[in-house]
Amino acid sequence: MKEILSIQGLSKSYKNIRAIHNLNLEISEGQAFGILGPNGSGKTTTLSIVTGIIRQDNGYFRWFGEEPNAKQRKTIGSLIESPHFYPYLSLEKNLRIICDIKGTSNADIGRVLETARLSERKKSKFSSMSLGMKQRLGIAAAMLGDPKVLVLDEPTNGLDPEGIAEVREIVIEQVKMGKTLILASHILNEVEKICDHVAILKNGELLACGPVKELLTEDEIIEISCGDNRLLKKKLDSSKLVKEVDSENGMLILTLNESISPADINNFAFSNQLVIHHMLSRKRSLESQFLELVKEE
Amino acid sequence: MQQLLRIEQIKLLNYNPFRITLALYFVFFALGILIYPAIDKEIPVISLSDLFRFPDIWLFLSWITEPYNAMLALIIIMVTTKEFSNHTFKTQVIFGLSRTELLLQKLLSVVVLSLFATLLVGLTSLALGLIYSYKLTFKIAMENTWILGRYLIAAFSYMSIGLLIALLIKNTALSLLTFLALRVFVDPVLFLILRKFEIKWYLPFRTITRLTPIPDLIEIFERKMNSSESINEATLDILPKGLPAWLNIVMVILYTSLMIFFSYRLMQKRKFT
Repeated sequence: MKEILSIQGLSKSYKNIRAIHNLNLEISEGQAFGILGPNGSGKTTTLSIVTGIIRQDNGYFRWFGEEPNAKQRKTIGSLIESPHFYPYLSLEKNLRIICDIKGTSNADIGRVLETARLSERKKSKFSSMSLGMKQRLGIAAAMLGDPKVLVLDEPTNGLDPEGIAEVREIVIEQVKMGKTLILASHILNEVEKICDHVAILKNGELLACGPVKELLTEDEIIEISCGDNRLLKKKLDSSKLVKEVDSENGMLILTLNESISPADINNFAFSNQLVIHHMLSRKRSLESQFLELVKEE
Repeated sequence: MQQLLRIEQIKLLNYNPFRITLALYFVFFALGILIYPAIDKEIPVISLSDLFRFPDIWLFLSWITEPYNAMLALIIIMVTTKEFSNHTFKTQVIFGLSRTELLLQKLLSVVVLSLFATLLVGLTSLALGLIYSYKLTFKIAMENTWILGRYLIAAFSYMSIGLLIALLIKNTALSLLTFLALRVFVDPVLFLILRKFEIKWYLPFRTITRLTPIPDLIEIFERKMNSSESINEATLDILPKGLPAWLNIVMVILYTSLMIFFSYRLMQKRKFT
């Protein structure tokens, strides 16, 4: 697959605060790539650097395998944080400015306003719009010129549930059309619903990166207890049956290795003269997995 | 270039403070012209309407309208600082303008407004000259039109200072106050402090205003009276001397180049949040 964005050793600090540190990412054509992390993890800083708003301290990035330049940015549709337009201009005039910057025809304005469901408000001033409309206008502006890559930073930030659904729908439509999407969000559910690849950031460092299905699958976990939980934990820790053993409310919480079933655990305990009197199989939520991943480091 | 001009056109023509300041500029410009014939009636011995004749009208109008360039500088300050407060510099960078293009965009506005101001002075001078002159030849009419070139440089320089202040301070009110303080207070005070030294003529605002100096009234009245004896200007000493014209122009161009250079450096370093 063709490389769209390559980030190598990117670092940025604001005075004494480290925003991102030695970040490496590769994003290929057609991917819906999520950058997931709690607030302050460096998502916006990363996207601000690759869209030319701020400069990195160290490292480099390449768009389409080339040195970054202003011309490339005209072929990328971006929305970084809240959209900022001229408050005294109408939506149409604001988009005309973007068309002039990108060098695209004004004829495209109608199409993007239609996609963003803003056609009826095209004569309204930007200052008179609701937050949701402003956000949709930001996405409409990003879509001008039909760019192959969309870079969206927290596109649903501050929106009500209806607004979130509307924006999400627009973004999913774009992904279905085959556009490469780079989406930064702190909402796991959003990334899970829209993206196929994800990079998880915390304190400016990359914790994990890969396909969503691999990184954020719902692990099966089992809850067990026996006469001597401490001994069972010790035995399980030294076995190859489990990925992880935790204690919680007098129970052992096991994350099983692949191809290991609860019956195998039962047999293992029995062979160690331990009788299991409680066993419950359940799925661990994505949310808890994400929180654990972020907490662990 | 055309694309940048179009962008600025959309922004400016729809921006109310721009329209209001420009309207005020016209009002002040018209008042400046109307007020002199009124003075004329109060002073019967000296006819100020002589100044409205060719070729003196070019110099006279350039001199009386030169302070209005400060209003154009205020416009540049407002439109530039608003880009910071509206975060629209950031938007333009995101969508593909380089930082150099952002500066170029503002400099184009400066050029257009300078041309507009010069054209206005030129056309008004021409109209007044045609109305008031009784000895009308092409040669006489065009004699002092060179002043328009200097007026253009003065207007451009004023706005370049405004642009640098706006990029430096970013806040509209503070930038406007700084510009006005420099023009109305700091420059005259420094001129007064340095009155005994030649360096006073090298002050930036002083060099700009000296581009369109007060017309040589003595020479004009001498000419009017067809006097063969020239009045001793040194004895009267009513006209400020200043730098030689060529050095004055060189200094203004040097200052303007520095303003643009520092504006460029600032634009490259600014963090657009």
